Amino acid sequence: MTRLLYAIVVGLVGAGVVHAVVLLLLPHYSARDAWARLSGSADFYRFTRMSGEDEPPVIRGIDPFFDAVACRFDLSEGVVHVEAPGHVPFWSVSVYDRRGQNIYSLNDRAQTLGDLDLVLVTPSQMIELRKDVPKEFEKSVFVEADVGQGIIAVRSFVPDATWKQAVAGYLDNAQCTLR
Amino acid sequence: MFRIVLPVFVALLVAIVGGAWSVRYALDHGFGMDTLTVGPWQAYPDLGTPGASAYARAAVARRGELPLGRAEGLAFRAFEDGSGAPLERNCTYRIAGEMPTARFWTLYAVDPSMSPLPARGIRAAGLQSSAVLHETNGAVTVTASPNPTPGNWLALDGTGRMILVLGLYDTPIASATEISRVVLPRISKLGCG
Repeated sequence: MTRLLYAIVVGLVGAGVVHAVVLLLLPHYSARDAWARLSGSADFYRFTRMSGEDEPPVIRGIDPFFDAVACRFDLSEGVVHVEAPGHVPFWSVSVYDRRGQNIYSLNDRAQTLGDLDLVLVTPSQMIELRKDVPKEFEKSVFVEADVGQGIIAVRSFVPDATWKQAVAGYLDNAQCTLR
Repeated sequence: MFRIVLPVFVALLVAIVGGAWSVRYALDHGFGMDTLTVGPWQAYPDLGTPGASAYARAAVARRGELPLGRAEGLAFRAFEDGSGAPLERNCTYRIAGEMPTARFWTLYAVDPSMSPLPARGIRAAGLQSSAVLHETNGAVTVTASPNPTPGNWLALDGTGRMILVLGLYDTPIASATEISRVVLPRISKLGCG
């Protein structure tokens, strides 16, 4: 009997260790995190809808008053240029790392001309770019992120049904390009 | 032989089952997250940021969410009414009070899996700030009910538990300095059925 009690106590200590290990490994091995879900619906550098009208959403918890797209990138291949011309009531952009941690976000008030034009670079790519800024990046906002792979999400507000088509068209025209 | 194998087996079983279950329970109940609680409303301002705890990181991976960034906004969730009773889809609730500073807000009902409740005809189970009636002092009164009501009606449908989500967009309260002084509307149950 004491042997069994001893075993349970050892087991409980072990449970604490398992708890910590599972907790720390979960973000690295989750098969249904945002990255895994997005990989299933689109390749790198392609914007894809995060939630649809009828099909189950790719990313959960998206506000029903929003239309949102996301693209995956890999900064080790080059800089990422995100553009979306046109005017909508509200847009916002978030940059996430491979594990879905938000690194950077901005909204339409941050860009003077109102058009979304953002270049995502690593600090070392930024040093190279500073020497000679290419013409296509003249009006861009530069975002430095020290990540390899990651996700860029663009969200846009749909105040009512009459805006649905305009906002969907705006996001359809959004580009996520490797440069 | 058996006297050695059995205790080892019991210890391993307790460790693995107990460890796995406790992680699941913790993540499902928001344990270990830096929760901002205002009345019945809860938000996780650190969720998905570099300052997030190990529990918050694991919760993001498990739920497959991409949480709003600080420049985007902050989402509050209410699982209960002001008296602590769980929110039900077949009950009538009054959500009244002033909204915090934000460029706009959305208020909508979701089921426990975070999917928005189905629309009733052209009436979505949600409202947004530019399409609601405000009182002269800026306060808002919304009635969430399965039955049509005058004023701001948030149309509910079906039965079972629900969660109310208040999304505040481009709001200064998402930045840490303002976060402790947030006032949100109260939720009170008016009746069921």
